[in-house]
Amino acid sequence: MGERMLTPDVLVIGGGATGAGLLRDLARRGLRCLLVDRSDFGTGTSGRYHGLLHSGGRYVSKDPSAARECIVENQVLRRIAAGCIEDTGGIFVATPDDPDDYVDAFPGACAAAGIDCDEIPVTETLRREPALSPAIRRAFRVPDAALEPWQLIEANLADARAHGADAWPYQRVVAIQRDGRRISGVTVRDERSGASTRVVPRMIASAAGAWAGQVAALAGVELMMSPGKGTMIVYNQRMTDTVVNRCHPPGDGDIMVPVHTVAILGTTEELVEDPDDDETSSDEVQALINEGEALFPALRRMRVLRAYTGVRPLYRDPAVQGPEASDDGRAISRSHIILDHEARDGVEGLISIVGGKLTTYRLMAEQAANAVCAKLGMSEPCTTAGEPLPGMGDSRAHWLGHRLAEHEDRGGGDADLICECEMVTRAMLERFLDRRGPCSIDDIRRGTRLGMGPCQGGFCTFRAAAIMAERAPDGHTDRAAPGGSASDPEGALSTFLNERSKGTRAVAWGRQLQELWMVTGIYVGVMGLEGSSSEHGGEATEDHGAVS
Amino acid sequence: MSITELIEAAAHEPVTSTADGCLKCNVCNTVCPVSRVTDLFPGPKYVGPQAQRFRLAPGSPPQAGSVMPVLSPDHTVDLCSGCGFCTNACPAGVRIAEMNSRARAQMRADRRPHLRDWLLGQPDLLGRVGVPLAPLANAALRNRAARWVGETLVGVHRHAPLPTFSRRSFRTRWSRSRGRRLRAPGSADPERSVVYFHGCAANYYEPEVAEAAISVLERNGLEVIVPQQVCCGLPLISNGLYAQARARARHNLTTLATFARAGFRIVGTSTSCTHTLKAEYREMLDLDDEDARAVSGATWDICELLLDLHERDRLDTRFGRSDRHLPYHPPCQLRSHGIGLPALDLLALVPGLDAVDLDLDCCGVAGTYGLKREKYDIAMAVGQPLFRKLRESGADEAACDSETCRWHIAKATGIRVRHPVQILAAAYVAYAAAEAEAAGAPSDG
Amino acid sequence: MPSADAVVVGAGLAGLSATLALAEAGARVHLLAKGHASTHWASGGLDVAALPRAVTVREAVARLADDARHPYAILSDALPPALEWIRGMLQHEGLPYVGTIDGPVVPVPTSIGATRPAAILPAAQAAALRPWEPGERLVVCGPGGFKDYWPHAIARGLRRAGAWWGSAGPERVDPLVVELPGVRDRLNLDAIELARLFEEPGWRWDAFAAIRRALIIGGLDGPGRMALPAVLGLDDHAAVLAEATSELPLEPFEVPLMPPSVPGLRLYRALRAAIVRAGGRVQIGQAVVRIGVRDGRVVEVAMEAAARQFVVRTDMLIMATGGIAGGGLVGHPDGTLREPLLDLPVEAPPAMSWLAREPLAAGGHPLEAAGIRSDAELRPVDASGRPAGPAGVRICGSLLAGQRYLRERCGDGVAVASGWLAAGAHRPSAPRRDAPQSLAGEVAG
Repeated sequence: MGERMLTPDVLVIGGGATGAGLLRDLARRGLRCLLVDRSDFGTGTSGRYHGLLHSGGRYVSKDPSAARECIVENQVLRRIAAGCIEDTGGIFVATPDDPDDYVDAFPGACAAAGIDCDEIPVTETLRREPALSPAIRRAFRVPDAALEPWQLIEANLADARAHGADAWPYQRVVAIQRDGRRISGVTVRDERSGASTRVVPRMIASAAGAWAGQVAALAGVELMMSPGKGTMIVYNQRMTDTVVNRCHPPGDGDIMVPVHTVAILGTTEELVEDPDDDETSSDEVQALINEGEALFPALRRMRVLRAYTGVRPLYRDPAVQGPEASDDGRAISRSHIILDHEARDGVEGLISIVGGKLTTYRLMAEQAANAVCAKLGMSEPCTTAGEPLPGMGDSRAHWLGHRLAEHEDRGGGDADLICECEMVTRAMLERFLDRRGPCSIDDIRRGTRLGMGPCQGGFCTFRAAAIMAERAPDGHTDRAAPGGSASDPEGALSTFLNERSKGTRAVAWGRQLQELWMVTGIYVGVMGLEGSSSEHGGEATEDHGAVS
Repeated sequence: MSITELIEAAAHEPVTSTADGCLKCNVCNTVCPVSRVTDLFPGPKYVGPQAQRFRLAPGSPPQAGSVMPVLSPDHTVDLCSGCGFCTNACPAGVRIAEMNSRARAQMRADRRPHLRDWLLGQPDLLGRVGVPLAPLANAALRNRAARWVGETLVGVHRHAPLPTFSRRSFRTRWSRSRGRRLRAPGSADPERSVVYFHGCAANYYEPEVAEAAISVLERNGLEVIVPQQVCCGLPLISNGLYAQARARARHNLTTLATFARAGFRIVGTSTSCTHTLKAEYREMLDLDDEDARAVSGATWDICELLLDLHERDRLDTRFGRSDRHLPYHPPCQLRSHGIGLPALDLLALVPGLDAVDLDLDCCGVAGTYGLKREKYDIAMAVGQPLFRKLRESGADEAACDSETCRWHIAKATGIRVRHPVQILAAAYVAYAAAEAEAAGAPSDG
Repeated sequence: MPSADAVVVGAGLAGLSATLALAEAGARVHLLAKGHASTHWASGGLDVAALPRAVTVREAVARLADDARHPYAILSDALPPALEWIRGMLQHEGLPYVGTIDGPVVPVPTSIGATRPAAILPAAQAAALRPWEPGERLVVCGPGGFKDYWPHAIARGLRRAGAWWGSAGPERVDPLVVELPGVRDRLNLDAIELARLFEEPGWRWDAFAAIRRALIIGGLDGPGRMALPAVLGLDDHAAVLAEATSELPLEPFEVPLMPPSVPGLRLYRALRAAIVRAGGRVQIGQAVVRIGVRDGRVVEVAMEAAARQFVVRTDMLIMATGGIAGGGLVGHPDGTLREPLLDLPVEAPPAMSWLAREPLAAGGHPLEAAGIRSDAELRPVDASGRPAGPAGVRICGSLLAGQRYLRERCGDGVAVASGWLAAGAHRPSAPRRDAPQSLAGEVAG
């Protein structure tokens, strides 16, 4: 089989929010573009953040320019991506432990950054959010909101595709060829089939985030990222319908974001070597809860569904000295930087975009696209701030009760609910599969929220696996996404359930441990999952009589 | 915190946060009598802990640019009859039926109440109007045209098991026979007296139940105090009218708490009223103050109290013989009390009486649920297995502790249904009669 | 305060077995449970033991019993008579089981298209136990529109190499989706609802006709069997099964589904009915919150109730509260497992190493064996073998340490044998009936 070859104007590496936004921006300026991601879209940092659309309030004191960027982009996204945003509003609350000078200066700092900020009486705050600590001293309202990353990415990709671009998941960049100073081509390998594609773009834009150093290395460029690992925990119920921040210098466990049906407590901060280091430790979880209790005293009694870890794409300019150079991740700027590797490293045809945060993804994409266009001698203006994303212009699409309300409007009932916790119907699942083609159950999860509720996929996974199997023609042996193939629903099942259980390990106590155990008992005991075939076929070697 | 304290803290956590416990295991769906008979109701898991995660907390700020606020966007929760079987079946302590009641109240909170629900929610109001006009009102209730009008205009099903008004309320009869003795707590001995909460049914429709209870209590040396009281408020709660229910609850709590604090026991003949005093004021209406706790701790269902007397050897067990089979249906509300089946234990004390638990779930009426036009058929279907078993038993009388169940079962089967305390009262009378006969009759020898 | 010879806590198979054995022996016994659990989640079969290279159940039990720390080391003698006894009870209730501990453990199909080892199954599942003859086909048949049974996916799974562990499976496996009357139009559909549809004689007549037609149209005749979802009736199961067997051209067997488990419900109901008939009390709905202990002995068991605890006086407590899934063991954030009723010492792997392994990994998980260690009389002991907790306590079922119920598939055998043994049913005489001494003093919690 010969290698495919493609010659787009621009190859975007990385299918997170920034890459998807960049693809959209470039495509709208008339460039032929291709985006590749080593995995599914939104599986890196974009899909592993706390879900907060920043007002900028968090950065007002330490990084006013980041705060200003946030509020400007916050307003832009409310226009172009209203359907991905739940307008929960946000509050900054001062607990008795928070420094007076910080709290006193907060409203002024917000005003200086252009962020609307009103102080609201504590009694009013507690009436609206009764789970908050009654010890809070002051409260300020800011325009925070909850932002759904996967829909945002999908909508950006959809708009890009509508403008002629293409985006491929599960395509890993394995080599970047150079012809002297100039990049001459890229080899991309399909993670499912193993097939290779050679891409010869005029420019490469690396939006690989925390993995940008690895991409740059393929091109022989040294780029030191300082991945900042952050752990978040997901609560089963929304104990708040408003984003709650602690009014103090940013620290651990001081943000609670209501996202869809859950609430997410974030975050920790630890610089790590490897951006793929996504282990979540029980210590981190306990530390988060300890801090979070200052905001929500009953936190320890509430059910935690899972914990997960994201990696911030932090970048430390080697030239910078001072606090920025310390090992404290929180001291590193959250701002983004466009690295022109021609000017920086003498390698033509490659730029990297590093740093930044999801709230400013569009601005990052705009600036990166400007840089690309400048390199390609184009002067098309950016149009991404003015034009709503396809299907995302209506803010009524996204509020807590929307799935329940829409389901009831269609007649209600549970017969068609595949994932009952998150109310994913069979039609929603089929539409996703129509659009996506062969994929894993985990991809379905990101696309539909299947398996994200209390049972963590216990009652829906086998249904999803069966629907995938029923759709594939008999005797068909595709090589679908890793961990999910229509020809092996049982394998897809155990992969997914084990994968989900990883996120549960660090939070496995109380009801969640009970749930995990019940589900495991059903799948192993009643459903015969767990390689019973090999165990009882006489192949097993372990002595089952030896119970320790 | 000790383990016991932890368990007790969990037992008193707010109803809606118990949704956190849901294992999604579907056990609740196996016991729901409503989803058993209608495809319209998706069952307790769906409308309970599952939908709960999609409901905003009351008091949430409206969200700009959306169709907010919709606190509870589902409407099928209205088909929950509130029987509470799901709550009892749940292995994880999720208070499903209670959660559904709250969701219904959220739905109703920003709407004007339906006239029908407002009327059915206030049996005391109906009673005050109906009793003075009893002959007329009862004739109207029997009149097919009037019932048709009631169904069309008000939404009460034409075949609804509506009780007939008593010609005189229990309170009127009581004050005529005993004088207007509104005793203050200080003037009676809490060891030798009880406070009677008659509720609306015994007052306006079935004074004979109240009188039976009083005769049984007095037979056992207890003086009965009947304080001023209004409807317990349960019909309002189950119709989602929490604010109105709260007003009644406060009224009752004010009176009853003084007795409770003075050490009196409060006894009721309606399992629904007593459960409301015990639990719903605190749990559903959020009136969890000192008064409510005192009243809750002092409240007893009549059979619970009598069985307690018996277990302390203080019950007069000289019951007359009654050789017959008596089917007994424990009402759903009784199961929520968590006190076992005291009526069955008491009826077992009557010589010759073979009282048997029918062991079926719900009669269907669930308070005012089965009276409603759109729910009457569901209520009848739910009750079918019970009605069938009762008819097959061949008995001409059955026993049940709750009034609306009695009326519903009686109307559906044509079999007389009485409160267990009426059976006990009759057994005392029978004993006395037999004694008198034995004393009066010449000895045959 | 009622008194009882014994109180059983937990309504799974162990608790039901213990209660039934006690009630049958004439003891006054109360079964108290917070809700339904394990039976409603399980297959309805009796998993006694299955190990690689153990051909029969008896062989597997013997191997497990060789390990002194396995519950079968205590229970293996009680197991055969206990199984005989419970099967007799179930047969009497119209729920016969097929297969013996001396028969082979064979692979039977599951509803995700895998197989599980089984030897003793209810009659409705029994056809799956018989060896597959050459030329026999298996038709996996389910109703269209039912989300818990997917014939195509199941058939595909059962055709995979290794699905039958190398033993002879059916020669062909074919999926068949049948449109059953009205099923596709339902808003709500689960196994319970399908089971109720099958109880309507007219509907099931049409349903069986539709299946017959579909078999003919699909050319799926010839020798073989058919795997149906386990929904063949609930209360009237025997009649539905008999009709399915006579009306369908291929011999049908039921395949258990995700909860709610209809076969599990049948098992629960049969045992409950037997208990009630034998005079036992079953009270489900509130949590047991306190065990009263005096002078080192159990004296009472208190259950949460609406106003005040429901207390049963007893000197024998049988704990059948389950393992982690059933809530008998509770995980705490500090990495410990605790037994919430009496804080008995829990035998468990070191804290924080719980989920070091994938829960679905072949070979099981270390946490499976966690539980309470007991002596030969099922009395709780600590790590050094000294008595733990108050006197009068017996431990049953999956709360017992040392079993890996998932990997060894011994859960039901341990439950029945330990319940039976704890009830004293192995002894010729009935359990003690001597009432505890007077309880004038305060009872320590």
